[in-house]
Amino acid sequence: MAVMKIIRSSGQFRFGITVLTLLIVAALAHEWLISLLIGDTDPRQVGAYGILESPSRNHWLGTDPYGRDWLAMNLLGLPSSLAVAGIAGIISTLLGAIVGFYSGFAGGRTDAILRTMTDMLLVIPTLPLILILGSYARGLSIVELALVLSAFSWPFAARVIRSQVLSLRERPYVELSRMSDLRNRHIIVQDILPNMLPYLGIGLATSSVGAAFALVGLTIIGLAPSGVLDLGTLLSLALEWGALSLGKWPLFFAPMTLLILLFLGAAFISQGLEEFYNPRLQGRR
Amino acid sequence: MALPVESIEHGDDERVVLDRSRRGFLGPVASYYVRRIAVFLVTLWGAISASFIFFRLIPGDPIQAFVTQMESQGRYSASEQTQEIADHYRQVFGLDGNIVEQYFRYVERVLFHFDFGPSLLSYPLPATDLILRALPWTLGLVGAATLLGWVVGVFLGTFVGWGRTSPLAKWVTNLSLGISHIHAYFIALLFVYVFAYWNPIFPTSGAYDASLEPGWNAEFILSTIRHGALPVMATALVGAMGWLITTRALVVTILGEDYLTYATAKGLPKRRILVTYVMRNAWLPQVAALGITLGNVVGGNVLIENLFRYPGLGTLLVSAITTRDINTAQAVITLLIIFVLTANLIIDLILPLVDPRVRRDH
Repeated sequence: MAVMKIIRSSGQFRFGITVLTLLIVAALAHEWLISLLIGDTDPRQVGAYGILESPSRNHWLGTDPYGRDWLAMNLLGLPSSLAVAGIAGIISTLLGAIVGFYSGFAGGRTDAILRTMTDMLLVIPTLPLILILGSYARGLSIVELALVLSAFSWPFAARVIRSQVLSLRERPYVELSRMSDLRNRHIIVQDILPNMLPYLGIGLATSSVGAAFALVGLTIIGLAPSGVLDLGTLLSLALEWGALSLGKWPLFFAPMTLLILLFLGAAFISQGLEEFYNPRLQGRR
Repeated sequence: MALPVESIEHGDDERVVLDRSRRGFLGPVASYYVRRIAVFLVTLWGAISASFIFFRLIPGDPIQAFVTQMESQGRYSASEQTQEIADHYRQVFGLDGNIVEQYFRYVERVLFHFDFGPSLLSYPLPATDLILRALPWTLGLVGAATLLGWVVGVFLGTFVGWGRTSPLAKWVTNLSLGISHIHAYFIALLFVYVFAYWNPIFPTSGAYDASLEPGWNAEFILSTIRHGALPVMATALVGAMGWLITTRALVVTILGEDYLTYATAKGLPKRRILVTYVMRNAWLPQVAALGITLGNVVGGNVLIENLFRYPGLGTLLVSAITTRDINTAQAVITLLIIFVLTANLIIDLILPLVDPRVRRDH
């Protein structure tokens, strides 16, 4: 299978997929992991333990000012961060694929207009726009939030996919299909789509990272939708509690490290895919 | 057709390729300029219109909220006049009349007078005053970080590509690949903890020592540099690592070109090959790529300013958002977009001057 081949040949892909798999497993099994750490105690329960304890054998990352086990809190926040990244990543890849496909396939004026729009969204700073939207949409659920974020992160995918469609439609076998009067749908589904999969993967990884960071940006500013507890919220809480001046480094270090691992995992997957499938880049390393 | 720019990250960057099929009475460079400026004006208009629509889509009535807030502060006691008061302020803030009238008034005010109406945050001060006060700080941070990161990254990238087989070069490449994918905010957070709280070498927040009077004297400038060092270094580090990776890839490609084999065969000194053949060909496309990264840097800078409580546009934006001061928020957003678009325009206009391939008509 193609995936095994990439894993064998690309160290970057191997690293990325390992990190991301570990994070996803930890998120899926977070309840079990939390129960291993602190038994039956509710991880959110205020005052369960002493406040601001340093890391110890019982509390690997210490406790927060409300006496909650910090590692358990982080395990609790991990699934939301991954879910937003994943859902927003999938939606924006779909949006980007539609725009990129249409743009690359239609060509001409349609292409010019769609490309100008894509480039504009890529060039202008979107994070400030997301911050404003976020401030007026406090009651959002994770899925709704992911939808909003994906409205801003589709251009990455659109750009990757458009340039790939442009190159694929000039290939001899596509030419052949076109000359044999096959329908556009046939050409897209049979000839182009299978070759697009790795690029959809690249688009997915890139836009997931974009969406995940936009969420972090929202929560750092303190605009987290009420009720969503993600890693960014934990980070902003840690800063609010003065973790920096108190020298309580695990408080901000833990959510930050998990977020960095998430970003690195996705980035290395897309880097590995790109290198494997883009012959121009091969041998550059 | 040989593309003068091969940008790895962005696939097909066609912005700098002159359109050779449509040659008018103007020379190729002049018509490139005309088209580029036309695109700029259209994008500018698009961005301003989009920001107008964007802020009108936001639910809720900011004026009602403003009047209610003033009432609660006891500035108006006669509550039966609320409607009149709201109407008055609606006019002051340019929110009267139907949406089309509002739109034309808005575009006219912004484009020709650079007037965004009064701010709600510090009424009756115009929002323009607030943003112009904050602008130099943001320009300083973003400008210094972008330039520093670019120069360091392109230089290191050239050398890492030049000596690509050495273990050190490989090690540096992998390290920078990792760092380039960490957001500058996290690096800034680490820096502020290590270099400001843990080892108090740099100040933790602000743009200058509060005891100093702003002015062009050595003491104040030094204090500005000390305060700006951490945010600038964080953004520059991540930027430099990104530029290193892309420059290295360009250099490795260039090293495989035929003209380089020829230059080596001619017996040109290594130094000459590195400077005139490799460096020039590697850094020109990187100038072109500079503009694309700017939007991200400007966006990320909002968070970094928030971390350092730096008195720039980002901090202003956050306080405008939290106080629902839409005029100021809109002014900041529009200014940031204009800034990024203009920087892109300038880069694209400079490009033919420094790159003979774009200038020359083939």
